[in-house]
Amino acid sequence: MMERRVVITGMSAITPIGHGKDQIVKSLQNGVSGIKPLRAEEFLSPYIHSKVYGTVDYPVEYDFKRNHRKTMGPVAYYACQVAKEVLEQSGLTEEFITSGRLGVAFGSIHGSPTVQRNIYRIFFGATEKSAVREIGAVDYLKSMVHTTAVNITKMFGITGRVIASGTACTTSSQSIGYGYESVKFGMQDAMLCGGADEYDTTTVAVFDNLLACSTAFNAEPHRTPRPFDKLRDGLVVGEGAGAVMLEEYEYARKRGANILGEVIGFACNNNGGDMILPNLTGITSTLKLGVENAGINPQDIDLISAHATATKMGDIIEAQAISAVFGNNPYVVGLKSYTGHTMAACGAIETIMCLAMMQEGFIAPTLNLEEIDERCAMLKHVQKILQQPVKTAAIQNFAFGGVNTILMIRKFS
Amino acid sequence: MTRQEIEQEVKNVFHREFEIENPDMDADLRETYEFDSIDAIELLLAIENFLSTEISQEEKKQAINIRTINQICDYIEKIAKQRNLFSPA
Repeated sequence: MMERRVVITGMSAITPIGHGKDQIVKSLQNGVSGIKPLRAEEFLSPYIHSKVYGTVDYPVEYDFKRNHRKTMGPVAYYACQVAKEVLEQSGLTEEFITSGRLGVAFGSIHGSPTVQRNIYRIFFGATEKSAVREIGAVDYLKSMVHTTAVNITKMFGITGRVIASGTACTTSSQSIGYGYESVKFGMQDAMLCGGADEYDTTTVAVFDNLLACSTAFNAEPHRTPRPFDKLRDGLVVGEGAGAVMLEEYEYARKRGANILGEVIGFACNNNGGDMILPNLTGITSTLKLGVENAGINPQDIDLISAHATATKMGDIIEAQAISAVFGNNPYVVGLKSYTGHTMAACGAIETIMCLAMMQEGFIAPTLNLEEIDERCAMLKHVQKILQQPVKTAAIQNFAFGGVNTILMIRKFS
Repeated sequence: MTRQEIEQEVKNVFHREFEIENPDMDADLRETYEFDSIDAIELLLAIENFLSTEISQEEKKQAINIRTINQICDYIEKIAKQRNLFSPA
C-alpha cells in the first residue's frame, strides 16, 4: 500500500487563552489561565454546581457573507474562522482547494447546542401546529453533527471527502488522525482537519451530574483544572476551535509551502466495555499502537500532551499507561490546565499548542500543578516553563464511549 | 393591501432577511443574488407572517418556478386575492 509523508502547512485556533499562535504562545509562556466564571443564564447555570468555564471572552471578528452565515450556528462560526485562517496560511490555490484533492475532516460533539435549545424551546412552548412552522428551514443545517465540516466545504468550495467525527473528546484528534490516513494512503492530497465547540452549559450539566466537574475553585476559576495535582477535583468545560492543514510532503515541498511540522503516526482503539470509566488496558494499548504506527521507539518521544482532564481516576489511569509505555523519559504536560476541556476541539488545540512549543523551543508547565498526586508522580511532570527543544510529541485524547486516540507529530527538518 | 404595499414589504424582507437593498425587481434571483432553496423557504415563511395566513403545501409548490421579485409580488397578490386581503389601489 502506498505510504506518503504527511506534513502540516497551516494551523489556527480560537481558545480561551487566545486566538492564533502568537497569543496562545504568550499565554502559555506567562501562565495565563482561560478559566472564567460560568456565565449566568436562566436555563441551567443556577442548578450547576461547577461555576467555572474555559471561556473565549474576547471578540472574534468575522467577515462571512450572508449566503454562508444562514446555515451557521455559533460552532460553525468558530470552525469556518479557523478553517479560513488555515487555508490562507497554507497558501494553497483556489484551483487546488476546489479540485477534489482537498478534503475536510472536522467535527463537534453535537452540532450547535444553542440552535438545538431554540428548537426545543419552540417545541415545548408552542402549539403543535405553530411549532412546525416556527422551526426554521435551516435549523437542522445549523445543528446537525456534521455542520462544521459542511459549512467549511460550502464556504470554500471544497469538493473532496468529508469525515465528520462526532466522538466527543476525541472528535478532533480523530479528524487529524483520519485526515492523516487519507493523505498518507493517497485518497486525498491534503486534508483540512479540526474540531470546534461553542459555549454550552448543557455539557457542563452532563459532567456535573456525573460528579466529574470541578466545584472547589468556583471563587478562584484560574486555580482549576489541576491535572495530576493532589487537590484536583474534576474537569472544567471549555469552548474553542482548532484546525490544521495536512498535506502530502512532496506536493508541499514542490510548491514551496512553509512546513510547520509532520504527522508521523496515529492510533485509535476502543476499550470495548464501559462508556465512561477510564480503562488502563485500553489506553495502554492505544499508546503502544501509536508508537508502532509511527515506527519509532518509545524513548524517541520527548513530550506528551496528556488528555489529563483533572478527574480523580482519569489522571491516575493515564499516568499509569504513560509510565508503562514511555517510562519517565518524556516530559508530560496537561494543557487543559490553560483552556479547560474544549471538548471536540481539544485534540486539535493541543496539537497546535505542541506544534507551537516545538517551533518556539519551550515546554509550558501544567498550570496549577503544585503538589503532584503521589499516584501520578512516576512521570516527568513540567511544573515550570522549560527552554527545551522538542523533536517528537504525542498528543493523547480519550472520550466517552471508550474511544482512545494518540497522534504523533515531529518537528520538520 | 395594495400592490404597492406588497412590493414595499417584499423589499423590506429582502433587506431584513437577505441583506439585499434596492433589489432589481426583474433580476434573476439565483444568478444576481445567490438566492437558493433555503432562502425560498425562509421567504415563504416571511410571506405567511406578512399576510397572517397559512400557505398550503400546494400553494407553496406553485412558488417553485418564481425567478424574480416581481414574480414574488404576483404570487403574493394572487394569494391575497384568494383570501380577500387585496384591494386594487
